Amino acid sequence: MKLELADPILWQSVQTQIDSDFGEGVTRSILANRVPAVIAREGSQSIYLIPYDWMTLADENLDDFEMHHIGLWLGDMVDERFRLGLPILEHLSTLTENIIIVNRLSAESFTYGKSIIKEGVVRLNTTLKRRQRVVVIDQDGQVIGLAALSIDGERLVRLSKEKLVAKNLVDIGWYLRRMG
Amino acid sequence: MICLMSRRELKTKAKELAKRYGYLPYMIERYLSLWGQEETLRFLSACEKPIRTAIRVNPLRNDASSTVESLERKGVGLEKIHWLQYGYYSDFKGYSPGSLIEYMLGYYYIQGVPSMTTVEVLDPKPDDIVADLAAAPGGKTTHLAQLMDNSGLVIAVEQDKSRLSSLKSNILRCGVTNAIVLRGDARKIDQTSLEPTKILLDAPCSGEGLIPLDPSRKTSKSMADIRYCATRQDELLDSAIRRLAVGGEIVYATCSIAPEENEYVIDDILRKYPEIRVVPIDIEFGSPGYPNPYGVQLDDSLKHARRFLPHLHGTEGFFMCKMKKGG
Ligand SMILES: C[S@@+](CC[C@H](N)C(=O)[O-])C[C@H]1O[C@@H](n2cnc3c(N)ncnc32)[C@H](O)[C@@H]1O
Repeated sequence: MKLELADPILWQSVQTQIDSDFGEGVTRSILANRVPAVIAREGSQSIYLIPYDWMTLADENLDDFEMHHIGLWLGDMVDERFRLGLPILEHLSTLTENIIIVNRLSAESFTYGKSIIKEGVVRLNTTLKRRQRVVVIDQDGQVIGLAALSIDGERLVRLSKEKLVAKNLVDIGWYLRRMG
Repeated sequence: MICLMSRRELKTKAKELAKRYGYLPYMIERYLSLWGQEETLRFLSACEKPIRTAIRVNPLRNDASSTVESLERKGVGLEKIHWLQYGYYSDFKGYSPGSLIEYMLGYYYIQGVPSMTTVEVLDPKPDDIVADLAAAPGGKTTHLAQLMDNSGLVIAVEQDKSRLSSLKSNILRCGVTNAIVLRGDARKIDQTSLEPTKILLDAPCSGEGLIPLDPSRKTSKSMADIRYCATRQDELLDSAIRRLAVGGEIVYATCSIAPEENEYVIDDILRKYPEIRVVPIDIEFGSPGYPNPYGVQLDDSLKHARRFLPHLHGTEGFFMCKMKKGG
């Protein structure tokens, strides 16, 4: 696994997907003064944001080593679909209106990989549409993951309390589950 | 004072204690010749007692005092460890320390006191390039990043594929953004052109300091295993020292109490590389290294190394030594 700068076509695709999900210019704000780098894996490409001068690491005779991670992980491109990584969500939540706030019980079950039902929703923007990605935040303001809406926001009030509102895409319990 | 025993007396005593405490006799023989009977007994009885849980709060993710407050609100008992910036003895009152949301959010890391101390001894600064040569699961990698305020660069090297995901997970959970993770044999670090200003070698070891945490260690390793570890430690340290920048510092550490894996390894390196010297550690904790283990005279500067021992410090057994590379 080698470190390379993200090629412009790949980066354009990442940027388009993030911006269309979360708002124009969001990717540029996240990138700030870093550059996007790629580590290619079997079946996916992991995108990282790193200071430009770290690219010189590629010249440090690291042939005996495989690079597995570098800097800030933005997410993975799998089958042309970009999946945001958990570490970026906190910053993202300050740049977008696409958020859902959930109560304590719902937050807890969300961190076990469960999805969000009407009963657990404290706040959701009514202009959001079905399939929209939303950052999930608990009542203490802590970012706990990412979900995809299963309904248009305006329908929330008419939903019965056990109905699915947002499907879990990734949550902070992943850090523990991944360690086994 | 160590009361000298004849070889036969020592063997007989070792056999008896080995049987009583469930160890392999060769281990007790070594303890008796290292410490004498009285201290050996204190060590053996301390190893029967549990070690206090400790956590390190992580300001990369949340203000340290807010984390302490929110844990205390949840009923977690915390007691500051006086020589550490971010370390607390903690009593989770029967709950699993890894089950709280604050843990998932990376606000703290569950870590042994000696491990936290090792990183503070290395004292990384934001402009350092630090190599962490045996990194998984990342307790020390994440601590390094924390003390460097996510600046500079941490190069975390790990050989074992199955341990990489815990290393990466902890890096992400703890909000570390100044690290790279390399998979490979750190003995080959001398083939690269990296020039770290600081190196942490938390070397793979026989784990002889972990008996209070893992009683199976009383019988699981032979003297040949210790020799095997010592050879690998020698090779790792040798390679590390060759890449260390001139003027740079390295901390060598193990969770073994065996002088064969610690003082002996450093002594070999000091003989081989005159430009390397042991430097005193300016934090108060633990007890001095052994420049004269089993009556073998080693480099006297090894008294500047430090040890943690269950019967003296209430922690797992641990060794660390700080060295500097001259011009
Ligand atoms: C004592 S543990 C490190 C603990 C870690 N520093 C921490 O604080 O979380 C030693 C690690 O070294 C790894 N290791 C063993 N031989 C190695 C080698 N030749 N190169 C790199 N890593 C190695 C082991 O797989 C193990 O994960």
